[in-house]
Amino acid sequence: MRKFKYADEKIGHTEIMIALPAMLLGVGILVLPKKLAAETMATDGWVSILAVGIVVIVISCGIAKFVSRFRESSFMDITTQLTGKAIAVVIMLLFGLVMLNVGSYQLRSLVNITEKYILAETPIEVIGLAFLLVVVYAVSGSRAALLRLNIMFFPFIIIIPLLVMLFALPDVEWGRVMPVFQTDFHGYIQGMKSSVLAFTGISILWFYIPHMREPERAPRAVAIGMSVATVLYITWFIFTLVTFGSGVTANLLYPSIELAKSVEIPGEFFERFELVFFVIWTMVLFNGMAMTLDITTLTLTSIFTSVSKRTIIYIVTPLMYFVSMLPRDIVELNRYGTYVGYAMLIYTCFVLVVLFVLSGIRKVK
Amino acid sequence: MGRRYFKNKNRQKDNPTETTNERTDFSEPLQTDLEKNLENLETILDEPNDLVIRQFPVRNSSHNAAIVYIDGLVNDDEVYNTALKNVQLFTEQADLPSDPDDMFETLHHSIISQADVETTDRLDDVLDNLLYGHTIFYLDGTDTVLIMDTREWETRSIDEPNSETVIRGAREGFIENMRINMVLVRRYIRDPNLRFETFQVGRRSKSNLVLTYIEGVVNPEFVEEIKRRIDTIDIDSVLESGYIEQSVEDSFMSPFPQLFNTERPDRVAAHLEQGKFALILDGSPFVLIAPVVFGTAMQSVEDYFDRWAIGTFLRALRYLAGFIAVFLPALYIALVGFQPDLIPTRLAISIAATREGVPFPPFIEALLMVMTMEILREAGVRLPTTLGETIGIVGGLVIGESAVQAGIVSPIMVIIVALNAIASFTVPQYSVAIGFRIILFGYMIAAAIFGIYGVILAYIMTNIHIANLRSIGVPYSTPFAPFSWRDWAGTVLRLPLPMMTQRPGFLRPPDRISAGNKGDSS
Repeated sequence: MRKFKYADEKIGHTEIMIALPAMLLGVGILVLPKKLAAETMATDGWVSILAVGIVVIVISCGIAKFVSRFRESSFMDITTQLTGKAIAVVIMLLFGLVMLNVGSYQLRSLVNITEKYILAETPIEVIGLAFLLVVVYAVSGSRAALLRLNIMFFPFIIIIPLLVMLFALPDVEWGRVMPVFQTDFHGYIQGMKSSVLAFTGISILWFYIPHMREPERAPRAVAIGMSVATVLYITWFIFTLVTFGSGVTANLLYPSIELAKSVEIPGEFFERFELVFFVIWTMVLFNGMAMTLDITTLTLTSIFTSVSKRTIIYIVTPLMYFVSMLPRDIVELNRYGTYVGYAMLIYTCFVLVVLFVLSGIRKVK
Repeated sequence: MGRRYFKNKNRQKDNPTETTNERTDFSEPLQTDLEKNLENLETILDEPNDLVIRQFPVRNSSHNAAIVYIDGLVNDDEVYNTALKNVQLFTEQADLPSDPDDMFETLHHSIISQADVETTDRLDDVLDNLLYGHTIFYLDGTDTVLIMDTREWETRSIDEPNSETVIRGAREGFIENMRINMVLVRRYIRDPNLRFETFQVGRRSKSNLVLTYIEGVVNPEFVEEIKRRIDTIDIDSVLESGYIEQSVEDSFMSPFPQLFNTERPDRVAAHLEQGKFALILDGSPFVLIAPVVFGTAMQSVEDYFDRWAIGTFLRALRYLAGFIAVFLPALYIALVGFQPDLIPTRLAISIAATREGVPFPPFIEALLMVMTMEILREAGVRLPTTLGETIGIVGGLVIGESAVQAGIVSPIMVIIVALNAIASFTVPQYSVAIGFRIILFGYMIAAAIFGIYGVILAYIMTNIHIANLRSIGVPYSTPFAPFSWRDWAGTVLRLPLPMMTQRPGFLRPPDRISAGNKGDSS
């Protein structure tokens, strides 16, 4: 009998396109302006974002093109074909390990902000647990549904920052754009180093593109998705800078949320708009976190094929929760985030290079 | 997923303990002897007093014949005019063959003037048809009988549908009679490709279920899938189409219905033409429609009868009302109890002033009022129509007013609960509105624990659930995700008629185009 085609678990190209901004922007938009403002003069940081953005778009399109060449339906199968079973298991395990830490970092970032702005009296452990349980509920469902969720929350990713920027217009001092291009070369490099951290999420491509219905449409979708993220980063960065100025931005704890705080909604319907902003932004953070946990689970299920997905979620989740509660303060958390971010990005590129070389040697079509 | 929890229960009941007179297997051939056949029938049915057996001799022959039917299920006049009278009168003139089998053939083809006649020689066929209102004609000496369709019983006349009233649109609603319901649909779609396929469901009720769709418009995969699911229905009786809905739906743990029901033939016709299918159950005025998506719940057939701007506005209004129906009390709890700083200062002060002296925290206050509202709603349904209106006045005015006067709840709370309840009734699909009323409590509890953070977590969970839900395989969250501009515009907005030229793409109809542009000169 023919399979009931509609109910399959394949992913469309829109899902891939939107998964990227959903993965990148969540934490990225909250932390990027502060780091970048400290390292570049005035609004020059946008050059760094743009440069990094272009490089990352090229890399991610490379991943998309590379993965979509294969007929296999999972990343594990692709690596096994190229490197053999043993090395594939190592690659997947490392991916799982890094992803676990990415998830912990995302969780703790959300928890810290929630505690600071929304629930001052609730212990962070409780805030984190509640959120993590919701993420577990999402990951327990089907993978296609998880990516559909990105699309359902995608309007918020675009509309909410645009709204904040629109209402911030009265406070903007365009004079702060000047002086332009006063940053020295070293400054740009430092800026790029920080911006790179906002783009680490591209490793999801390894795992989701093999599940696509039409993998050949992946590169274009990836390019569009990445461009949206880059453009949004740049506009958001410039807006934060021209509202607060370089010095203030670098010294604020969460400049992005402060930007939302500074805006005044006409009609005085919301007194504290940053709360509304962050509460809605929780959905975006949820998207990123859910994909992270999903991929952590996916790496392990593809290694231990006999263990059920649910069991693996039950093992991974407490670990992620435990690690997320380890950093003692915001400084430690930021350092942790930096390490994890670099690890993820370097590892992704490393895997790309290794697999690409191997596919060249083995002449896989 | 949930089915796993019920597995153990069924395992223990393998041994039938008591022996009764019940006979379940009737698959045996009929006898040639009339007396024996009739005796057999009487024994099986235990001689009920509505069983009519009329024995009479066939003239010019030595053979007896009998007519058997259940009184009340058949049209007596028809039985008399087409069978009894004909056999008794015309057999005098006709030259009947003496061999019983030949005689039976002659009777079948020349004498009995019933339009819908079948023959059978199986006992189970006889029983099924007899109990469904057919008349059985026996002839002594042959093991074949005639089954004549003489069904007719009292039905309600076609009435305005109570559960879905519209201002503009047809006033006809489905009734309990399947045949008439089929006619009502056919009158809207005179396409030769309109299909009606009949299934029998229910071990004991043996109800007729009709699957209807337009060949070439509906995706054949849906039809195959629903047929497969109908075949798996194995329950004693099907009293209402709700039984069918719950037997074939994708997830029985969901608060949202995955097949919608309607009493309106025009609504069914509109959905069939979009590429959906419908299930008509005999005995139920509620016809099921599937596959549906969340956006379908916010559509009323009336949207298409008025001009497009009105339809679009009303749909936007319904989405807003849906939001109020789910979120309002939870937001009240979260804002008043946790984040009063989110409310504009002057409003916050006036709310605080009205809450002066209220002894309960916002959650208890809201729960009290929402529960009262639910009780009133339920009481309004149970009571006779005239009394139901009184309940509304007594409940709404007296209880609300007194509660405020007594200082149990704040006036703001009364406004919120009233607005919330009214908003939930703007959702055209009642079963979805009830789903909203249920998840409302979840939102309130989440708000009571985590404030606005809890509300957003509850919202995310609802979305997770909807993203995972499917209706006959179609993701419930379509056309939001998987996203399609055209379907989105067609579901959330109501496009002007000249722009509605395609059927919804998410239903994958083989014939995509639903309207041409003959009048368009360009």
